[in-house]
Amino acid sequence: MSSEEILLWIKEQFKNTTELTQKTLDYDNKHALLFYVKSLIDQESLQKLIIKPFFEMANENQFKAYLIALPQFQKVESKEQAVSEVTNGNTLIVIQHDLYLIDLQLATNNQVSTTSVETTIHGSNIALSENLMTNINLIRTYYHQASLSIEYFTKGEVNQQKIAIIYDKELVNTKALEIIKQKLQQLDQQVISASTELNNYLNDKRFSLFPQMLMTERPDRIVYNIAGGKIALILDGNAQALIAPAVFFDFMTTMEDNYHTLFISLFVRILRYAGLFVSLLLPGLYVGITSFAPEVFRTELALTVAGSRIGVPFSSFVEVLFMLFFMELLLEASIRLPKAVSATATTVGGLILGSAVTEAALASNIMVIIVSAVAISTFVIPVNELAFTIRIVRLILLLITSVFGLAGLTLGLYGLIMYLVYLDSFGEPYLRLFNYQKAKKSSEGQA
Amino acid sequence: MLKKRNKIKQFFLLIILILTALSGCGEFKDIDKDVFVSMIGIDLSDDPEKPYKVTLKLYVPTSSFKQSPKPEYTYLTKNGKTLTEAIRILETHSDKEIDFGHSKLIVIGEELLNANKSKEIMDFLLRRPDIQMISWLAIGRPSAEEIIKMVPQSETAAYPALFNYFDHNGTDSPYIVTTYLFDFRRKMLETGIDPILPLIEINKEEEHFEVNKSYVLAHDKKPHELSSLDTLIFNMMTRNLDVADLVINEDNQHFIAKIDNINSKYKVKVDAQHQVKLNIDIELFGYISESKDTISNQQLPQYSKMVEAETREKFSDFFIKMLNVGYDPIGFGLAYKSKTLHNKRMSPNEWNEAYKNSKVNIKVMAGIKSTGSIQ
Repeated sequence: MSSEEILLWIKEQFKNTTELTQKTLDYDNKHALLFYVKSLIDQESLQKLIIKPFFEMANENQFKAYLIALPQFQKVESKEQAVSEVTNGNTLIVIQHDLYLIDLQLATNNQVSTTSVETTIHGSNIALSENLMTNINLIRTYYHQASLSIEYFTKGEVNQQKIAIIYDKELVNTKALEIIKQKLQQLDQQVISASTELNNYLNDKRFSLFPQMLMTERPDRIVYNIAGGKIALILDGNAQALIAPAVFFDFMTTMEDNYHTLFISLFVRILRYAGLFVSLLLPGLYVGITSFAPEVFRTELALTVAGSRIGVPFSSFVEVLFMLFFMELLLEASIRLPKAVSATATTVGGLILGSAVTEAALASNIMVIIVSAVAISTFVIPVNELAFTIRIVRLILLLITSVFGLAGLTLGLYGLIMYLVYLDSFGEPYLRLFNYQKAKKSSEGQA
Repeated sequence: MLKKRNKIKQFFLLIILILTALSGCGEFKDIDKDVFVSMIGIDLSDDPEKPYKVTLKLYVPTSSFKQSPKPEYTYLTKNGKTLTEAIRILETHSDKEIDFGHSKLIVIGEELLNANKSKEIMDFLLRRPDIQMISWLAIGRPSAEEIIKMVPQSETAAYPALFNYFDHNGTDSPYIVTTYLFDFRRKMLETGIDPILPLIEINKEEEHFEVNKSYVLAHDKKPHELSSLDTLIFNMMTRNLDVADLVINEDNQHFIAKIDNINSKYKVKVDAQHQVKLNIDIELFGYISESKDTISNQQLPQYSKMVEAETREKFSDFFIKMLNVGYDPIGFGLAYKSKTLHNKRMSPNEWNEAYKNSKVNIKVMAGIKSTGSIQ
């Protein structure tokens, strides 16, 4: 196909829009034709790198050589590639039937932000930016190994987003890598707008409760996991990376665990697991004990609970559901609300509603304490994805307990553990202490 | 894939089946629809047709103990032909479900104890699932009902004062024996050891309880009351007591030895003629806590001798009494049984005879370490 045909084809593609700018440079027997999308390119660099040299160069041949020597230069391989690169912020230059692509992309989303979801006191406070190249740059600056490999996929029929798979060639869990690549190739979606969407798309199951990939915004976490043989996926235009394979215990660790001294991190970990169990079991335990086996309480407590329930019109499980419902509403509301209003929402919801509910005898005092304890302990879970899951599992356990009592709660917990054991994340058993390196070493002899 | 999914379905079906088979612990019942029993009292009634008189002490729940710190109880009393009958009738006297799960103390009236009905009572207490096996068992004088219905001045809400005597958290006096229901049953069924129960008395004028005596009992035998001193000696033999006081009154010397370390050991030896020898070894260490006369540091060995003599006398009195009535609260018979092969062992009846004629050998080693802190 000749360059004229290509040009015609490109023009055809952009026929219905006014986006494509066509500029002719003509001076001293030198001719060049520029095509670019004005909103995507950095006009200053266009002027500095292309227009100014054009007028200074002696002849067209020198200018051609200059263009090829530019670091932003890209070869044109097909007309489709040319169009897609132009929409990515490249400038297409035509000189005497030759086509040149120069990357002059203007990215306004390449600012590195500070952590907002996974905040820590110790350690780096830099989070990923929304620009893929900046993110890869960040990871490379934290991980100096030649074996760090990055593969790109373009997915999403309509919006054609770039996905980068980042891993260390030497350390990577090859089985998981193969599964991920295969699933990415099979991926058939119209629009992909957030990296966390991949969590659903790369998962064969229609109903999945527990996240199988770890979402993070911290470069240090990505680097730590890549060094552990895991694979990171980053979507362009997203400040979150996904790490796979992820096991249950990954969701219960923070990066700070490694930064503290042994006893402090041990203490914090114990606290966190205690929080997990409290937020999972406390509503169920309340119903199970008050309505099925009050012997479990100490006598004083049993009497206080019985006394504080005087006048409450609902059964214990309706009472718990009622209060949990308001707590969940409050949680949901404070995520969606603008920051300025969310403080008011928590005050109204938490303090005023809490005390008014007990005043009006719609719930017992003890119930308000339990709901607040449950809410606080949910926040202790460090990875947000798991916290959402726990909120649902808690309700399931509560329902089982309301019907079958404490024995049902115990069995429900067993069922949960069985389910976790049954799950796997890209070939890795979900409920296992992840130590891929060790497994690799021990299996070396067999392979 | 399909097979796997089927398996998951089967698994959940199984879980649901198992869950429905479980009834939890009883039916769903809100806690405010229960009424908790704090103590159970069982007496002998005047009516020979309905010999059992059951008294229940029920907690009145309050939402805040800060607002109502005074203890509040209600009582239910009913005579019945059997205990179950009495309690079934009592359930119609209360608007809420009577829950025995929090009952910690079972008081048996002294009269009932002497009426030799312990087997029926035990049977009821053990079979009913919501009566805790870790409840304490005690004898009430003059009757269980009076003990149960008295609320002393010092009592706080939700925790009856009487519990403090037995839970080793409140008073930890060496004169109190504590017997759990499960332990009582074991000792009742076991040959070679006899159960002992604390005796609760009421001081009417001052409105408080006195718990310093006890009863040893066995099937088809008249219960024997142990005095305060005997109860102390029993505790010294069986519990690792920390403190005990011994009054010494001899040769114009009158002092009280405070013992803070007691070691007691015993050995049962039986010779070929079935002559039982009980060798009892006691070590006492302590200091003098009270004296009428001046006491000299140089004479500590003599004081120790006096303590030894006094202790030996008191212990041998105790054991002679026990041998005479044929009661064995310490468990010498059990010690013998456990250390002799079954084919060489005496039968329980032979042992009981031999036990009554056994020789008691008491060795006491006392060490009075100081004359107290007054120099």
